[in-house]
Amino acid sequence: MSSKSSGSAQLRSLKIMGEDVWKNRTEKVNAELFTLTYGSIVSQLCIDYQRDFQKVNKQLFSMGYNIGVRLIEDFLAKTALPRCENMVKTSEAISKCAFKIFLNMTPQVTNFSPEKDAFSLIIDENPLSDFVELPMDAMKQLWYSNILCGVLKGALQMVQLECDVWFISDVLKGDAHTELRIKLNKVLKDEIPIGED
Amino acid sequence: MERHTVAGVSATVNSERSDVDAMTEQQRIQQQLHVFQSSLPKVNELAYQLLFNEIIPLSMAVEKKLLNKTNLQDDQKVAKQDDDKATKDFEKLHINASLDAPSHKMCQEISESDQTKQERVFERVRNIGFQIGNKITELLVFSNNPNLRFKDMDLLAIMKFICRDVWKQLFGKQIDNLKTNHRGTFYLFDYDYRPIQSFSLESGSAEKELALVKPFLELPIGIIMGVLSSLGYSGEEVQCMATFVNRPDDRPKSTFHKGISFHVQVNSQ
Repeated sequence: MSSKSSGSAQLRSLKIMGEDVWKNRTEKVNAELFTLTYGSIVSQLCIDYQRDFQKVNKQLFSMGYNIGVRLIEDFLAKTALPRCENMVKTSEAISKCAFKIFLNMTPQVTNFSPEKDAFSLIIDENPLSDFVELPMDAMKQLWYSNILCGVLKGALQMVQLECDVWFISDVLKGDAHTELRIKLNKVLKDEIPIGED
Repeated sequence: MERHTVAGVSATVNSERSDVDAMTEQQRIQQQLHVFQSSLPKVNELAYQLLFNEIIPLSMAVEKKLLNKTNLQDDQKVAKQDDDKATKDFEKLHINASLDAPSHKMCQEISESDQTKQERVFERVRNIGFQIGNKITELLVFSNNPNLRFKDMDLLAIMKFICRDVWKQLFGKQIDNLKTNHRGTFYLFDYDYRPIQSFSLESGSAEKELALVKPFLELPIGIIMGVLSSLGYSGEEVQCMATFVNRPDDRPKSTFHKGISFHVQVNSQ
């Protein structure tokens, strides 16, 4: 009972912290500017890869990874969060703090796997894909916001969580929700320098 | 005679008053614009900044992959006669290797690659910038900005639009100085160009630092060209270049030691 209530208190504090950082300690830019910049990048990639959308997906993922490995530093500096001991905590930190601080949205966490090592984020208001409508040929294969998967993968890897991140559905493809799945593969070990101990 | 003067005086009084009215009206609209813009949805500036700067290593990564692909096709032609299996293995390898080298490696590769390759990467960066510039005009035109009157806008007014509104929207600051000869040549000075403010190498490698930062100037070049194109100046008649300039001594210290000068040349008619 007591552990449960302290858990929910922690969750609430995560939420409050996310909002506090967003409100008081974040420089902000117009979300439309962000949307149109990302749109320009994707459209150039589609031209470069001659509408081979698998390659575009991969490139976006890789771009996101490179951003994620640097983004995590700012996130940890701003929130001073300790290490999350399980994926449930991690999921809350991602949705209530990370998404709030960087994109000003709070995706819903659902569909935990029985082993609690995989979960889904339901992203309702996605600033990357505002005003975006995909052409017919892109609708089948292109994961427009695939950069998010890369960012999450890169950032989580830097806190020693080796994860797979991928989209399950996207409103741009005509699905009801945009759902992103994160699955923990393994927790990377802290390396001890050779010769010590 | 007397009547005439009176009329003249009353006219000036009138115009003064309307000036005052226009001023407050102007301020009121400015106020409205400010309220409107702060009511728009926002995202973290850092997220935007990272995305913005990542365009340069991304362009290099794409360039490398496209190059690899043509090589691969060449290889395939040869390999078809020699050994089919080896090519297949290579392809598999190629598919599995989905992550690119880290961004700083890519930036280094740009500065070390030969000129034609560099130019292709720059071209790609400029294209992305061009699209951003194109769309940002739309964004700003529909923002009810009282500073903008596109009805009889000359080139100077468009340049001022870039210096004031576009730069403010993109980088949170205006261009520091605009110079022109009124014959289509413009110099835009930005002494603290925001996206590169956090860039620096170890001390004593200033030249290398500038070489590494150079590709990052292609993006604003593209943006300037994009804005100009969306307002009717496009293609051959517009040239834009960027160079590093020394910052004036009286400016407060910034982290990056050089300012940027954008040289825009418009040959209309």
